[in-house]
Amino acid sequence: MQAEIIDNIRFTTLSPEAIKRMSVAKLIVPDTYNEDGYPIDGGLVDQRLGVIDPGLKCKTCGGRAKTCMGHFGHIELVRPIIHPEFTKIIYLLLQSTCEKCHRILLDENQMAVAKDAIETFVTSDDMDVDRVAETNGKLAALTKKLKSVKKCPSCGAPQQKLKFERPTFFYLNGNKLKPDEIKDWLSNISNDDLKLLGIDYKATRPEWFILTSLLVPPINVRPSITLETGERSEDDLTHKLVEIMRINQRLEQDIDAGAPQIIIDDLWELLQYHVTTYFNNETPGVPVARHRSTRPLKTLAQRLKGKEGRLRYNLSGKRVNFSARTVISSDSSLTVNQVGVPMRIAENMTVPLYVTKWNIEKAKVYVSNTSYPKSINIITREGSRKRVNDTNQEDLLKEIVPGYIIERQLVDNDIVLFNRQPTLHRLSIMAHRVKVLPGKTLRLHVSAAFPYNADFDGDEMNLHVPQTLESQAEARYLMQPKYQVLSPRNGNPLLYIEEDEIAGMYLLTKDNSYYTKEETMSMLANLGIYEMPKAEKNGMYSGKSIFSMTLPNGLNFESKNKHGKVVIKNGLLVEGIIDNKLVGEKGGVLISHIFIEYGPDFNEKFLLNIAKLSLRAAYIYGLTVSVKDYYLSSKIISERANIIKSYEAKALELINSYKAGKLESLPGYTKKSTLEVLLYATLGQARDTAVQYLNKELNQSNNAYLLASIGARGNILNMVQMSMFLGQQSVRGKRPTRGYNGRMLPYFKRNTKDPKSKGFVTSNFFEGLTPTDMYQHAMGSRDSQMTKSLVTAVSGYMYRRLINAMMDFYVDSDLSVKDANGELIQTLYGGDGIDPTLEVIAHQKE
Amino acid sequence: MSAKNEKKFNVVYGEAVGAVAAHSFGEPSTQMVLRTFHSAGIASSVVTGLPRILELVDARKKQQSPLMTIRLDKSYAKNYEKAKQVKAQFEEVLVKSLLENFTEDLKNVTMVLEFDKEKLAQSDLTLKFISGKLQAKFENIDAEQEGHSLKIKYKSKKEMKSARTMFVNMRNFAVKGLQGIKKATVQQDDDGEFYIITSGSNMAGALDIEGVDKEHLYSNDMFDVLKVYGIEAARNMIANELKKTMDEENVSVGFRHIGLLADAMTYGGSIKSAGRHGIAGNKASVFARASYEETVKHFVNASVFGERDPLKGVSENILIGKQINVGTGRIKLAIKKEDLKKVDAEK
Repeated sequence: MQAEIIDNIRFTTLSPEAIKRMSVAKLIVPDTYNEDGYPIDGGLVDQRLGVIDPGLKCKTCGGRAKTCMGHFGHIELVRPIIHPEFTKIIYLLLQSTCEKCHRILLDENQMAVAKDAIETFVTSDDMDVDRVAETNGKLAALTKKLKSVKKCPSCGAPQQKLKFERPTFFYLNGNKLKPDEIKDWLSNISNDDLKLLGIDYKATRPEWFILTSLLVPPINVRPSITLETGERSEDDLTHKLVEIMRINQRLEQDIDAGAPQIIIDDLWELLQYHVTTYFNNETPGVPVARHRSTRPLKTLAQRLKGKEGRLRYNLSGKRVNFSARTVISSDSSLTVNQVGVPMRIAENMTVPLYVTKWNIEKAKVYVSNTSYPKSINIITREGSRKRVNDTNQEDLLKEIVPGYIIERQLVDNDIVLFNRQPTLHRLSIMAHRVKVLPGKTLRLHVSAAFPYNADFDGDEMNLHVPQTLESQAEARYLMQPKYQVLSPRNGNPLLYIEEDEIAGMYLLTKDNSYYTKEETMSMLANLGIYEMPKAEKNGMYSGKSIFSMTLPNGLNFESKNKHGKVVIKNGLLVEGIIDNKLVGEKGGVLISHIFIEYGPDFNEKFLLNIAKLSLRAAYIYGLTVSVKDYYLSSKIISERANIIKSYEAKALELINSYKAGKLESLPGYTKKSTLEVLLYATLGQARDTAVQYLNKELNQSNNAYLLASIGARGNILNMVQMSMFLGQQSVRGKRPTRGYNGRMLPYFKRNTKDPKSKGFVTSNFFEGLTPTDMYQHAMGSRDSQMTKSLVTAVSGYMYRRLINAMMDFYVDSDLSVKDANGELIQTLYGGDGIDPTLEVIAHQKE
Repeated sequence: MSAKNEKKFNVVYGEAVGAVAAHSFGEPSTQMVLRTFHSAGIASSVVTGLPRILELVDARKKQQSPLMTIRLDKSYAKNYEKAKQVKAQFEEVLVKSLLENFTEDLKNVTMVLEFDKEKLAQSDLTLKFISGKLQAKFENIDAEQEGHSLKIKYKSKKEMKSARTMFVNMRNFAVKGLQGIKKATVQQDDDGEFYIITSGSNMAGALDIEGVDKEHLYSNDMFDVLKVYGIEAARNMIANELKKTMDEENVSVGFRHIGLLADAMTYGGSIKSAGRHGIAGNKASVFARASYEETVKHFVNASVFGERDPLKGVSENILIGKQINVGTGRIKLAIKKEDLKKVDAEK
């Protein structure tokens, strides 16, 4: 429905004539408002440049504040001024042309080569690459040589030394070139010569780089703000323009009065300074122009540049309507494809309903409703928008015909986009079906939180309502979580069950788990399954058979995990325990199998079923963790002392052998650093030994250990740190050393290698840390916090670069990869043309 | 939905595979470490993790830890002594590492190199050999032997500056071994075969050494690989190194994404970085370049050279508010006139 499509955009330089053509007013008064607060004619807020105050009319187009988009004006500069952004190209041109005849410094032979090169360059499409590269190389070599040419090949004039000094000064043999001299020089360069330098004379004549008139942007571009006190505060650009005009006026007066040359030159340079900072207040070599409050002025270049600049902030990033944001929370009774939307949001957001003869009755219902779900606006065929209220409701109801658009409130099953920042991958925006719920938070299924990397500790998420049928269809059929199960990164499922659910799944499907008839019935009824599995001995039902009720009929599947083989035969789990690897974060092979073989809808159901079922199983088991699980039995306490003692002994051994000079140094290390490396490595193993010990000592009757060992939550190391000791701390990958002179804390001996004074923490969280241990542990924690924050910054920038480098790539119909210009990147995507989400599955099939 | 035919797994037309690849790198890269590791056995530290990924993506000319892995020919592989002999040919011995002292006389363009006797003996070198090597490498010099020192005179009395740089180069010259190889170590793999790991990369030189298995020479310096084996080899090396680093960090990223990035960096025949001086900085679109980095510079240059933005890429279309040209945005739907009539008829 795009009426006018921009095909391409050409960049050129503005000529003085073009500036005058664009301008609606020549500005002459270096001021803004008069005493009455009225815009001065010919001043910088001249009403011909547009209006922003409500009530005033634009003198050029007659429009009001909202309808007039502003008009350019101009300032006539008394003396020419060098445009500061073009100095580099001016310098190049001056170097490449003769100071006398202004011809390019090439002899006829070179000229022929250059011409040839330009031609190949322009028509390079059908040329072979080698030739283009060759001629380009020749051209580059020629232009490079130009600055060292001593004598003009055309007129024979000797070339004097040209010097450029930042920001805008040019010297010929030590004499300063005035802007008007440069202008004359540049305007005498012929179009043919410009062509040889690659400059398009139709787009740019070099003399335009020297400004004689300055374009003044409309006031919409530099609006003034009225402070609470009634005082007006002008935009930075206006301030700068006032100064330019003031100096320009003084220069004119002085010239007319016949002031001495020095004074004129000084003013001229001052004018140059103001114009320079007007364009770019960060020009190297120029003092920054400041506001009265010493804040640097934000001039033209600063407006465009950088993250907060016009391009990245306003043009690449757009603000939208029809969006909502609030805190998220979990809701296990939703499906992964739903999002719970608070009533307050549903009432305020609208979806357009395009009235046709088939849905006109439905549309009228929305209009006639006086409470939710009602219509907010109607849009006529002509496109005028009317708000529906009590008084006009009746009339509008009669008015509606096909072709109207009704903006109705959000209702259940509308499709919306749901997003969490940082939007790191495509699964950070997915489409969900609306479920309007009481409450004030957005709700989503716990399993859907993972792709967003969301948790419910106060995270907020955004919601967008697509407004066209095309976008709604696209969202509905491509972007729903049920279609996005597999990760494009490695083909593993992103929707799976976690934590308690994994634990429940283990408890349910482990061998010898049997449930009574009542338990089985309640578990299955919770899923909406009203059939019973086959009963086994004495009327009990095995967990495996209960789990099998969620599987598709006739499924045959085999896999292996750390508990052994898993065999599903004809839809029945015959052998093995369902764990992380099958339905969780560590691969989720069963989920991806079901997704591919039985489709997204069945998979969605399966996922919800196993989540509910496993939670029931955990509930029946009574899964809970208590302090008791971390309790220090006398056995653990004595073993802890043993481990610590043995590692301290090992450290001492190393230290002694170092002192005796027996320690062999590792390649590339000194003896001293070898000792450090070995000590750090040895003491770091203490934890591992403790983990091994706990693995031996504890069993699954300890729920904390159970959770950790089956990979539901936490790991054994956490238990070690709670009930045994924290172990070796590290700062920058080494034992912590910094602090006082030769020691970390004043409680240690100086220059000792002793483990305990170098970050070997022997106390634990259960008993609490000793003061020195706490310091050492804090050093390690601080180090890891600091690195973490640095990594996010570094990796964020790398990500931006990668996206910018590759975002244009797409797959063509022959499965090749091409970039925006149709250049071939890969002949067959990935070497096999396979969809990245299906990579794992496709390779299994082979 | 049983998947019988192959086509089912194919990518769909228009899929924004570049963006997907970038996501696949960017999303997990926050989990990677920012530390370089010291690996036992090799003298220098080996860059891993995020810094290594950056090094590869940036296509840095000077990387922090260039390494070569050299497999040996069959007759050498099982023999430790022979392996050691090969190794000895790798390690560079710089002139300056043999010196006890040196004096430069720039007025007379002479330099006196005083060699350490012990060091010479250690590396099995004679002064005669060194002076021969130096004279072969550097033109226009005279070398005179005086006791344990070598008096070098620069014959052409051109400029003091060129003499000075030459003297510095001379002291940094490797009389023995390969230029740029700081250290070499012999390692043994699980099959009992010996191989050599060097810190520093010089593939061209390594190929000339006898006993080196030329088919299994590996370097992690992409420009060295490019120079010796060409762009395809460099592409594979970049992809493999990226994959290796990702795997070391336990980040699983499909090889197609890694391969696409490597291809994007190399499809032009030379290695381009992903940054502003590489792929992103050479785009056809002015807007795409300006919205990335160095905004003003790109606009100014575009106006001087009268550039035309064809508005084909993603960035510039977002900027001007057009539909983007990847994914579903590439699909244009039309309805047949006859079908349209059917709709009208129903009315």
